[in-house]
Amino acid sequence: MKVKFDYILFVAVLFLVAIGLVFVYSASMYSAQATYGNKYFFIGKQLVGALVGLVVMVALIFVKLDIVKKFWIVGIVASILLLGLVFVPGIGVENYGARRWIGFGSFTIQPSEIAKFAYVLFCATYMAKTDMSKLKNCIWPVLVGVVFCLLIIAEPNMSITMCMAMLMVLMLFIGGMKSKYFLLLLVPLALAVPLLIIAEPYRLQRLLAFVDPWASPKGEGYQLIQSLYALGGGGWFGVGLFNSRQKYRFLPFAESDFILSVIGEEIGLVGCLFVFVLYLVVILRGVRIAINCKDKFSCFLASGICAVIAVQTALNFAVVTGSIPPTGLPLPFISYGGTSLVVFMGAVGILLNISRQVLQDVGVKNWIT
Amino acid sequence: MENNYYLSKKRLLTLLVAAIFLFFGIFLRLAYIQVVWGKQLQQKASNQWQRDLPIKAYRGDILDTNGSLLATTETSYGLYARPQSVVDADVCAQTLANILQKDYQKLHDKLTTRGVSEVTLATTITVEQAEQIRECNLQGVYIASKGVRSYVYGDFLSQVLGFVSSDGVGQTGIESYYNKYLQGIDGKLLTETDLVGQELKDGSMNYISAVNGLSVTLTIDATIQAIVENVLQLAMHQQNPQGARCIVLDVTTGEVLAMASKPSVDLNNLPRDDLETLMKYSKNTLLTDIYEPGSTFKVLTAAACLEEYVKGNPNAFSATHVFGNSAGTRIIDGSKIKCWTKHANGKHSNQTLADALNNSCNPIFTDIALSLGKDVMYDYLNKFGYGKPTGIDFQGEQGGLLVSQTAVTRGDLARIGFGQTIAVTPLQLCMATSAAVNGGLLMQPYLVKEISDPTTGQVVQRFYPTVVNRAVSEQTSATIAKMLEGVVKNGGGKNAYIEGYQVGGKTGTAQKFVNGALAQGKYVSSFVGFFPASSPKYLCLFIVDEPQGQSYGSIVAAPYAGLIFREIINYKQIEPLE
Repeated sequence: MKVKFDYILFVAVLFLVAIGLVFVYSASMYSAQATYGNKYFFIGKQLVGALVGLVVMVALIFVKLDIVKKFWIVGIVASILLLGLVFVPGIGVENYGARRWIGFGSFTIQPSEIAKFAYVLFCATYMAKTDMSKLKNCIWPVLVGVVFCLLIIAEPNMSITMCMAMLMVLMLFIGGMKSKYFLLLLVPLALAVPLLIIAEPYRLQRLLAFVDPWASPKGEGYQLIQSLYALGGGGWFGVGLFNSRQKYRFLPFAESDFILSVIGEEIGLVGCLFVFVLYLVVILRGVRIAINCKDKFSCFLASGICAVIAVQTALNFAVVTGSIPPTGLPLPFISYGGTSLVVFMGAVGILLNISRQVLQDVGVKNWIT
Repeated sequence: MENNYYLSKKRLLTLLVAAIFLFFGIFLRLAYIQVVWGKQLQQKASNQWQRDLPIKAYRGDILDTNGSLLATTETSYGLYARPQSVVDADVCAQTLANILQKDYQKLHDKLTTRGVSEVTLATTITVEQAEQIRECNLQGVYIASKGVRSYVYGDFLSQVLGFVSSDGVGQTGIESYYNKYLQGIDGKLLTETDLVGQELKDGSMNYISAVNGLSVTLTIDATIQAIVENVLQLAMHQQNPQGARCIVLDVTTGEVLAMASKPSVDLNNLPRDDLETLMKYSKNTLLTDIYEPGSTFKVLTAAACLEEYVKGNPNAFSATHVFGNSAGTRIIDGSKIKCWTKHANGKHSNQTLADALNNSCNPIFTDIALSLGKDVMYDYLNKFGYGKPTGIDFQGEQGGLLVSQTAVTRGDLARIGFGQTIAVTPLQLCMATSAAVNGGLLMQPYLVKEISDPTTGQVVQRFYPTVVNRAVSEQTSATIAKMLEGVVKNGGGKNAYIEGYQVGGKTGTAQKFVNGALAQGKYVSSFVGFFPASSPKYLCLFIVDEPQGQSYGSIVAAPYAGLIFREIINYKQIEPLE
């Protein structure tokens, strides 16, 4: 059987993963040596993640979508359980004052990474068989979304919560909820922002830090300043691969949330442009697949996966460039983090899976119309 | 249902367009940061990428007028470590413990300190130890050399040289006044490090060398200074006073050749813990403290009188004028002024100006001051530099105390005539007396004659004698000098007499003011002398503060000035004139 699927998307994602491996190594080798005495500490784990991710991705290309569809309830229940386990002492792992991971020995996973895609699967399944123009039918996606948000914010993890909330709005939008009903959704969300700031005043400081990071160069503004130093050092073509100066422990989370800063420093604006284009290719191909889908489930699933990738990428870029207040969010496919890598690659596997059906059933037409 | 599906696809496309715009916007922001803002960011960033080790500039030397060293900078080695860079703390600590003869555990603790970028292992180590440690090539341990101020003679010229703070900044004296020339410019060693200060393996090093300080050459002659210091010690020993002070200067130029006060401090071993003692004995009281000069001040009144006579002032008296009033007292506005001795048995009768100087007769100078009047007297006080600082190159100089011309009473004026009701610094008195005998010029005194670059030997700045103003004519000056020679030959100054060298001078004894009132039995005894009278060169003011026993300047101060002159004659091998 000749397998047809979206090769361009496949290659673009492999490129991103490969770039990720190179830069996780580059960004982490100094701090890994200094902290763990092993400069391959992070890249080793990331390589395992990439291999597992590749297996999962290829496997999901060939799984029947109907089977995937049946897993929606498993996804929701498992997500809620895992998100809950984070708070169980002994299983939940605390780091930087937040419980975001659950761990079994040296193996840790971040449930919120899984929850995002479980939610997409749930929405796609539910919305495909429901008339979303009726307000009462929108309650379930909103309810599940809010529960996820509450569990994630309790960790606390502001950035993934934001991702989740945006994802919820996007899914309902794509699902066909009437525009006027969005007011019912957006007004409470807008009201939640000042409440969250009052609850944790450090969020306001972060907000201010983003406006003028040099007001507190050693405190709230530190991360952003270091990110800007890295990017500023890169210029047009960068200081050369592996030559980052900021990775010498100046830039925090250089191998994860702020990996784009290291990319910008080492290969410059031109290198960043290449990365940007790869992400755009992934999103464009994903949307192309979604639009050409014959059935609603596939369409919503593909759209949801694209939405997660787009939202998280855009937020990460915006944080690193100081366009929005700093918040920790990994860059899909590139940042250090096994769970994230495996889950995103798996999601792309499903996207490719859908692309196979699109190519087989409809063929590639002029997809814009 | 189907409509709904098309709506979804339409919305999907809308979102795609929005996403593309969003990505484009963020990319523009990225481009702005990297390309437009980049240079500025890079400059800021470079500050945090490097650690700089200061390389202290060597403080310049201070030399005497003949080029002999008075203050210099010696190299001392300090031992430091960057715990982050120490590879094997055990071996390191053991090696250092052996070389330095220090406690292993203490060194080990220091080498393994966390959370600091640098620790001091030893503030001073010897050259040999430094050499041994260098050979061991211990990673993370380094030796830094620094300059330590050293004064060649310790307790010598202390108040003039001054001292530096523990971090090498001039605090007092020449060290302070010429600090900007002496201190040089520190350099630095820039090394590339990570966030916590650990050096990068293949990081670059940038060495900015220090520019050492300039040499300062004083007008002080170390030999004359040594003579003065020794004689002061002798006076301290013999008279047991509160203190003794002396200035020797060149009357033709205003160059200060020696300047000393006792008690003093050892500059190499300052009582830094006892601030009161330190400040008291390190202060150059010869120009910061004022005193009532007493009879030494009569030189000014005599000079004013003669100069005014030459100018034709009918209220002035000639050198040959015989003062008729031989009484021992004068009543001025109801208050009685007495001579220092009773005018009985023809003492102090029918005196000329020269006789009055020889006898140091107070009533005659009262008569002169009152006859000349306050305007003329204040004109001369001004011309001789009283009431304002001399302008010497030294910090904290006082200008003395003068009753203001509008407020001065006849009684005040009468007393000013013989050196009371006026307070001056010893330096002011020296400069005024110089002006009276050097041909009539008030000079500006100075302590530094040259600032030069020690590496090239090139003179950066040279200081020349400065005339402030003419005080009296050459003729008057010559007459005064001759009269003062007479004082030493026949009058109160005879204890300073040296056969063949025309020593001139005037004694002074003044009661001390303590808390604004005359203190009984507390005197400041002084003698200001010079030689040779026909062409004066050396002037010496010798002050003994609260001598025990005898208090007359003629007995307590004049002999020491004479001794100093004799020693200068020996040292300079000056031939007698007659």
